[in-house]
Amino acid sequence: MQRIHCSIVPPHLLTRLAALRDPRLSVAARAARHALQELDPLLQVRSEALRAPVRRGTAIAGTLTRRIYDAGGQEELPGRLVRGEGAFATGDPAADEAYDGLGSTYQLFSEEYGRSSIDGAGKPLEATVHYGTNYDNAFWDGERMVFGDGDGEIFGRFTASLTVISHELTHGFTQYSTNLVYQGQSGALNESLSDVFGVLVEQRNLGQDADTASWLVGAGIFTQQVEGTALRSLKAPGTAYDDDVLGKDPQPAVMADYVQTASDNGGVHINSGIPNHAFYLAATTLGGRAWEGAGRVWYDAVLSGSIPPDCDFPTFATATTEAAARRFGTGSREADAVSGAWSQVGVLR
Amino acid sequence: MRIEITRTGGFAGLSRTWSLEVSRTEAEQRWLPLAEAEAGGTATGGTATGGAAADEPAAHQGSADVPGPPAPGQQRDRFTYRIAIGYTEVHLPEGRLEEPWRELIERAKGAGTADSRSKDAESGKPGELL
Repeated sequence: MQRIHCSIVPPHLLTRLAALRDPRLSVAARAARHALQELDPLLQVRSEALRAPVRRGTAIAGTLTRRIYDAGGQEELPGRLVRGEGAFATGDPAADEAYDGLGSTYQLFSEEYGRSSIDGAGKPLEATVHYGTNYDNAFWDGERMVFGDGDGEIFGRFTASLTVISHELTHGFTQYSTNLVYQGQSGALNESLSDVFGVLVEQRNLGQDADTASWLVGAGIFTQQVEGTALRSLKAPGTAYDDDVLGKDPQPAVMADYVQTASDNGGVHINSGIPNHAFYLAATTLGGRAWEGAGRVWYDAVLSGSIPPDCDFPTFATATTEAAARRFGTGSREADAVSGAWSQVGVLR
Repeated sequence: MRIEITRTGGFAGLSRTWSLEVSRTEAEQRWLPLAEAEAGGTATGGTATGGAAADEPAAHQGSADVPGPPAPGQQRDRFTYRIAIGYTEVHLPEGRLEEPWRELIERAKGAGTADSRSKDAESGKPGELL
């Protein structure tokens, strides 16, 4: 018999959430949506693509194929096709944000790492928007990304943050590479890869160096009624939000604070804070463009064959350290930065 | 009889809890048999999941990951629902959520129980939301 355990989510989070009786938060209809931070998705990518990125020679030109569907408030997938590759903008922000976000994510993997789409073979990228009613989530269903419009009280639409789109699409990349089991430490690594490449897509789009980037996941999807800045912070796990509505971000940054729980597939969205922070430490130690240094190492590690589906944190840490040594040399500053980062979060000695 | 529904996971990783009161007759005739039918490894009965459960995580420091409901297939960032009817609990991944569980969850979300806010806040138990 399987034992069931209650949520490890701190009582104060539950009590804060339980206290949502403010009339402003109980409107049945969707509240006025958050004023969105419009990102400038493609201009910077194009100019940077003119640089000579490190390539592995596997990119296939012209394989970006996007299809955006509209579920029309139903929970049936994929919905009605509203924008195919190369088609004009629809005028629907959710559909157009999804389209642009897919492109930005595709370009990071293609132009920086030489991978053709998430499966390495040009797989068309699909997304469905307007899924469900007041649906406050975004997910990867094994084939496509799916985005809700939010409940209008806590969350606005999930496509409003590029990092949400790139996070979801990276779940596809992981599925077709290491396929980390979505439970416990391997699940937290699965989540962390989505957060890491999620923020790298945004940093590359904005042309931000490691030192100037926000390192936030999900900035801009809260409604104005919530005082959180984002859902997660790679720079400072546990600090992304701390307000009257949501309470405090429960993510740990170091192994000593690892959270044991049956909820959330063993805390995959909680303990991802530890490998997330290791990546941040490695990237900021190296400085410059995080997708070229630490990002390149993480990508190499994922494709190295040394990350099993049930990978734990130490195995992943060793794989990234070895990947850094392979690409940049044993004793290189990259290799030292990576091993040092894992030591700082308490995963490697 | 109190039915408590906790939703975990999702992209945000936030936990939400709703509850509603149903008559003992409804619980015993409608929901408990369904929960037990879900068994196949996901429903538990008896006192193992009783009031001490909230303190369980502390008892697991240093142990391996606590087993929980598996994620179905290749779905990522989806919700998981825990439905507690008395001492019987059932865990349902969102992708397997069908009627009449959806009806129960909608009822719980819409329930306006005004009872337990401060009390439950102090005892660490979640109360009703939205």
